[in-house]
Amino acid sequence: MLKIKNLKATVDSKLILKGLNLNIKPGEVHAIMGPNGSGKSTLANILSGKKGYEIEGEINFNGIDLKELPTETRAQQGIFLAFQYPLEIPGVNTNIFLKTSLNAVRKARGEKELDTLTFLKLIKEKALELGIDEKFLSRQLNVGFSGGEKKKNEILQMKLLEPKLSILDETDSGLDIDALKIVANGVNSYKNKENAFLIITHYQRLLDYIKPDYIHVLSDGKIIKTGSADLGGQLEKTGYTNLS
Amino acid sequence: MKQSYDFNIKNIYNLSSVEKDIRKKNLDLFYKSGFPNKKNEDWKFTDLNSILNKSFESITNNHDTNLNKKLEIIKNFEHNYILLGNGKINSSSFKYEENGKISIKDYDQKNIINLNTPSSLTFLNNALATGGFSLEIAKNYKLKKPLIIYNYFSKNLKNKIFNNKNSIILNKGSELTLIDYTDDGSQDNFIKNIIDSVIVKDNAILKNILIQNSKSNGYFYKYIKVFLDKNAQYENYIFSSGLKFNKVEIEVDLNEENSSCGVYSALNLLNTEHQEIKTRINHNAPNCKSYQKIKNVLNDKSKGIYQGKIFVESIAQKTDAYQLSKALILDDNAEFDAKPELEIYADDVKCSHGSTSGSIDFESIHYLMTRGISEKEALKMLINGFLSEVLEKITDIKLKIFLEENLERQINGY
Repeated sequence: MLKIKNLKATVDSKLILKGLNLNIKPGEVHAIMGPNGSGKSTLANILSGKKGYEIEGEINFNGIDLKELPTETRAQQGIFLAFQYPLEIPGVNTNIFLKTSLNAVRKARGEKELDTLTFLKLIKEKALELGIDEKFLSRQLNVGFSGGEKKKNEILQMKLLEPKLSILDETDSGLDIDALKIVANGVNSYKNKENAFLIITHYQRLLDYIKPDYIHVLSDGKIIKTGSADLGGQLEKTGYTNLS
Repeated sequence: MKQSYDFNIKNIYNLSSVEKDIRKKNLDLFYKSGFPNKKNEDWKFTDLNSILNKSFESITNNHDTNLNKKLEIIKNFEHNYILLGNGKINSSSFKYEENGKISIKDYDQKNIINLNTPSSLTFLNNALATGGFSLEIAKNYKLKKPLIIYNYFSKNLKNKIFNNKNSIILNKGSELTLIDYTDDGSQDNFIKNIIDSVIVKDNAILKNILIQNSKSNGYFYKYIKVFLDKNAQYENYIFSSGLKFNKVEIEVDLNEENSSCGVYSALNLLNTEHQEIKTRINHNAPNCKSYQKIKNVLNDKSKGIYQGKIFVESIAQKTDAYQLSKALILDDNAEFDAKPELEIYADDVKCSHGSTSGSIDFESIHYLMTRGISEKEALKMLINGFLSEVLEKITDIKLKIFLEENLERQINGY
């Protein structure tokens, strides 16, 4: 599904990613762990199509060269990024945003756009699954939401847009244990043979709830170690510094 | 290019010799300085003389009276209406209201409205004013439906100037929502120079909305002088995007205790559009409130200006005055100027003001795009979110939806 070969990325003439290789197949859950400044969020940003990076190497998503694709087209093709810090957008109603987003993606997939009533029925169901109070949906997007509410809102968007590849950037940060479980359940209930996950995290604790098939350790812009789910537990004990 | 004037008092009928004299004197006063230019402190950001020089070869007050289109009633919500042709009453309908509660008649031009800061446009208005209306609402009468003033114009608008005065009186305890709706639809350059006198008596409430239906090559100037008595409320909403030029001056006298006023604006300016909002809020009595929120989005080569002055007399203790101006500048060639001023002679007051201008937040655009929304659509969503906040205070749902739709059309450039 996603093939990254020798990816190098520079921002403000500083080399951040220094030749990264990654291969994700449908049905797989990959976790990327690593210390601060290792390039984890840069990778997420680049996959989402954020401007401002000079990029070398290959990024191939289901046969398409991602580097040429604008952000919204990536989203329409099935790439989803759950933000570490979801943005507050004053004046934009959450429901209207969600409907605009869903219909943009549906249109690109050649599906019929949803009318307001059908949409509201669907979003109510999805919100209920994640324990999101309906009232949040009529509020301004993320404005005044707590950290946990913002993250749940990200997972709600993921389940609504039904992406092929979901990238979760530090989704566990700022979550209490109850919210963490809800988020993890949201991911687990969406997981199937067709889609894949790339989970970026500092800590093992999210991986206690979402079991990865592979854990990669990113350090100084490169993947320096790849292992099974057990690697996370080891890292928790030994830290990143003892690896190399 | 320097324009020539063809201003004619002779064509204004039924004037007494005294009136003719006053008009001539005012015309002379106008000729002394011509249209306001930037040397005048009140016009420092809006050099009207040079703006008009660029677009008008000649200017005349001679005009015919045949309207350029038939009245098209807005169907979104039930309302009363007054149809003005070149500012003169053409017809009116108050079918939703009780008889004898509303008086509407032609403005009596003998009544000159005294302004604190008259400009040469005031003199021109005094010299040439015709048409206009006087509207009065009876004591304790609350209109059941809003009142729309449809502003229509004659054919062949090119180089024409219209000067009108209007008077609006809300007697004690009355309520009115007044929508000043301009529907031009021509491509002609023309000028409209208006002075409104507004009196809101004890416990009465007036909401005044200025709105524009389509793009227009109109050059509009309006001076609104407002007097508020005890517990009176006045709110003004300016949504007049789409005009080539617009300057709205609002002067509010909070003359008795517990009166309050609000000035709100949401403008999305395109091309070379130029809009100025200038306010002067005079707190002349204790315990009064004033609130101003001005939001501008500036595209292309547009220019927006906000000059807001809050004046607090020494007697006006416990004044609560607030003003905020926010601008989103989307093009390097666009400009926004803000000049907030506080002049306070009382010691127990709460006055605050703030002014920010900046560009659109790229991170927010990116966030929306990662959800499949195009950059163009994301930008529109952010602009809409920025401006629509001003509509929060409108409580009439149908009116609010109408204004939201109008705002959206503005953002799409009509």
